[in-house]
Amino acid sequence: MLFHTWSFALFFLIVYPTYLALKRTRFGLAWLLAASYFFYGCFNPLYLLLIFYSTLLDYIVVARMAKSRRRKIWLSISIVNNIGLMGFFKYGGFVTENLNVLLSSLGAAYAIPAPGILLPVGISFYTLQSVSYVIDYYRGNIERENSFIRHATFVSFFPRLVAGPIERAGNLLAQLQNRPAFSTKDISDGLSLFIVGLFKKVALADYMALYVDKVYAAPEQFQSPSLLLATFLFCWQIYFDFSGYTDMARGAARMMGLRLMLNFNNPYLATGLGDFWSRWHISLSSWFKDYVYIPLGGNRKGTFNTYRNMFLTMVLSGLWHGAAWTFVIWGAVHALGRFLTRELERTSFYKEKVPKIIKQLLVFVFVTFTWIFFRAESIIDAWVIVTRIFSSGLANPHCPLLALAFVFAVWSYQFVYESRIRWVLELRAVRIVILVLMVLYLSIFAASSEQPFIYIRF
Amino acid sequence: MNLFGNKTNRIQKKNVPDIQDGSFSANAFDVPFGSNCVRLSGCEWVAVGIIISALFYLGPILWERIEKFEPELDYRLPYELSNDYWLYNRYCRWACSQHETLVIGDSVIWGHYASEHNTLSHHLNEIAGRNRFANMGVDGIHPAALEGLLRYYGQAISEKNVILHLNPLWMSSSKHDLQTDKEFHFNHPGLVPQFVPKIPCYKVPYSKRMSAVVERCVAFFSWASHLKIAYFENMDLPTWTMEHPCENPLKAVSFVLRTSVSHNQNEHISWAQRGVPKEDFPWVRLETSLQWNFFQRSIDILRQRGNRVFVLVGPFNEHMLKGKSIDTYREIKNEIEAWLRREDIAYYIPPALPSEFYYDASHPMSEGYAMLAKQICENRPFGSDILWSGSNFAAPNRD
Repeated sequence: MLFHTWSFALFFLIVYPTYLALKRTRFGLAWLLAASYFFYGCFNPLYLLLIFYSTLLDYIVVARMAKSRRRKIWLSISIVNNIGLMGFFKYGGFVTENLNVLLSSLGAAYAIPAPGILLPVGISFYTLQSVSYVIDYYRGNIERENSFIRHATFVSFFPRLVAGPIERAGNLLAQLQNRPAFSTKDISDGLSLFIVGLFKKVALADYMALYVDKVYAAPEQFQSPSLLLATFLFCWQIYFDFSGYTDMARGAARMMGLRLMLNFNNPYLATGLGDFWSRWHISLSSWFKDYVYIPLGGNRKGTFNTYRNMFLTMVLSGLWHGAAWTFVIWGAVHALGRFLTRELERTSFYKEKVPKIIKQLLVFVFVTFTWIFFRAESIIDAWVIVTRIFSSGLANPHCPLLALAFVFAVWSYQFVYESRIRWVLELRAVRIVILVLMVLYLSIFAASSEQPFIYIRF
Repeated sequence: MNLFGNKTNRIQKKNVPDIQDGSFSANAFDVPFGSNCVRLSGCEWVAVGIIISALFYLGPILWERIEKFEPELDYRLPYELSNDYWLYNRYCRWACSQHETLVIGDSVIWGHYASEHNTLSHHLNEIAGRNRFANMGVDGIHPAALEGLLRYYGQAISEKNVILHLNPLWMSSSKHDLQTDKEFHFNHPGLVPQFVPKIPCYKVPYSKRMSAVVERCVAFFSWASHLKIAYFENMDLPTWTMEHPCENPLKAVSFVLRTSVSHNQNEHISWAQRGVPKEDFPWVRLETSLQWNFFQRSIDILRQRGNRVFVLVGPFNEHMLKGKSIDTYREIKNEIEAWLRREDIAYYIPPALPSEFYYDASHPMSEGYAMLAKQICENRPFGSDILWSGSNFAAPNRD
């Protein structure tokens, strides 16, 4: 059940009023949990066993940790269990495949059978969230949640269950405990977020996908302009797709009076790669910073160690996205880019003389280039794309101009949003006209293919 | 384990602001709203709601004033616009205002293997000597879809004479009758019941079913589909721009509808001449047939709206049948006749046309339509009733 489908509309129309009616009673949370489990079960009822097991184990781990002196053992159990589960379901096939390549290169006649397991939707997201709860408790940042229902709701809260944001207990669990005051402003804000997200996904991301999928399915058949434009459009497709999902998730949660964290903040206006990662998938970036980069030592032990930590964090972040070498390379290339921009940003010339727009364009070009590795079906395909961009002909790309017009309209909007003339966008008439146009476009012209979200695969 | 946790420890406030006066304000968990200015207040949402509702209501109405729709003689819904139900609805209203009798059915009525000037309605008009019959056939529609078409888009058909055609082909196998358990993509899926009664071979996701329900309940959405079908080659805008990357989509909206382009009009070779073998159809019995059930519902809908319904059964190409299927077909025909007689519905079951007048199992060719029209008009009281529009409801046909 995806946010941009009528099934979700019906689901939400049932869940939401009931939640509002039960919100102040002891059944409010139970209803939210039941709705979340139903939502997740719609993907595959077997997934429920997994999320329930994961939730229960972490609940018990924290309960045992509270009474035990050997807290580290309980922490290890939770981490091993969560990462083990994610590893088994997400990386089982990848590891087997690579071991088989290794065995065959060593001349072994035996091949390990592929596990053939279906990746449970959202496992990468709720696992990290659950782990963060245990680590935060271990570190003493939060207190134990006694209610199992509240804990389970925190882990499985349906708007953010399958593709984030990866919430922290300090934000979401605290809201579930304290039930913040709820106003009509929450409904109007939530609705605004939801419609913008819906537009990003249905009108923009799915549109870009038509061209991107065609070119990336057979890159050897396309020449430089097509490959460049497809990469450019993918850069925006993934942004519209993922930030659209997040907006809808935040909107649905907001309508229920719960505020999920901001996950995207106009990332293609970043002036450096550090800035980019503080604007792109913020909940994941901050998770890796807090639970991987800083525990590794962060930037406290000299330049070499800082870069080593940064590199490891970025590669792990790449691997988190998917079980393929293309994601590892994507993470590694980002790490190298991060070193470069970090050093550049230390020079007074770059800091003071290079105009902001040039910095933004440089970052954009670099990030767009890295998306090739993220999107390509294989390393070979990525290589074909990179080489053909520079060496093939200049055939007409047959790229829809309307798609490009949409992208430049959004990009311009974002530039204005972060400029001194932002007040123009804040005018009531402008906001209303934009929203009406979005709804009309969605109703009349948008594609009806119901494409799944890209990040649900992760 | 404390399931409801009435007395829980609160999350330590290292990451969240303090509680004041024992109540948590929304601001305590304030997170940035987003990275754009599209944030509307309640009042602004009300304004948006009013604007959108007005546009939803007025859009299709205004569009009808701008878009030319002037059906010519022997008009039939163009083949390419077969799925344009909004246009069908408009055509219904026009036809009801211009014609006394509507001829409703599938591609046999539409005239799949004949030009628009050689269809059944054309020949009936010729016999009547005036433009009395409207061709309301839709290519590829089957009884299950026809029932939906009449229910949701044919409300204008009331207090009229209606010739409703039954093509027995739809009961000639469990696949035609939509009863196979294996998924089978049939025509006009958006018109069939999406949830109840269950159609065994219809296995699309619930979301698509709901989408179909919404489209037929909200005129604005069927109008939006009309735009796609009529101006964007039955594609949504993004897909259309993929085919026409440098064209301005606004220019594609010409406000002029396609005319009724003749389809397959050059097919003059009969089934026997083409060497089509005879077949032993695995007929579905009437009492278990879904399509027959939907046909009965269509009659109910039309009668409830005050129409005078005349049922035309076939003529099926009996020359193409072999083995047991001939006897089974005759039994089915007799059962249909008995039911129509029982329900006091005027009907006519013409004898099979000469073999050389059929293109396939159910479609007559041009000459076949002429003969059929003649047979219909010569049949009494069926023919005289539909031709001269008697004031009393026609009695069942008696041999």
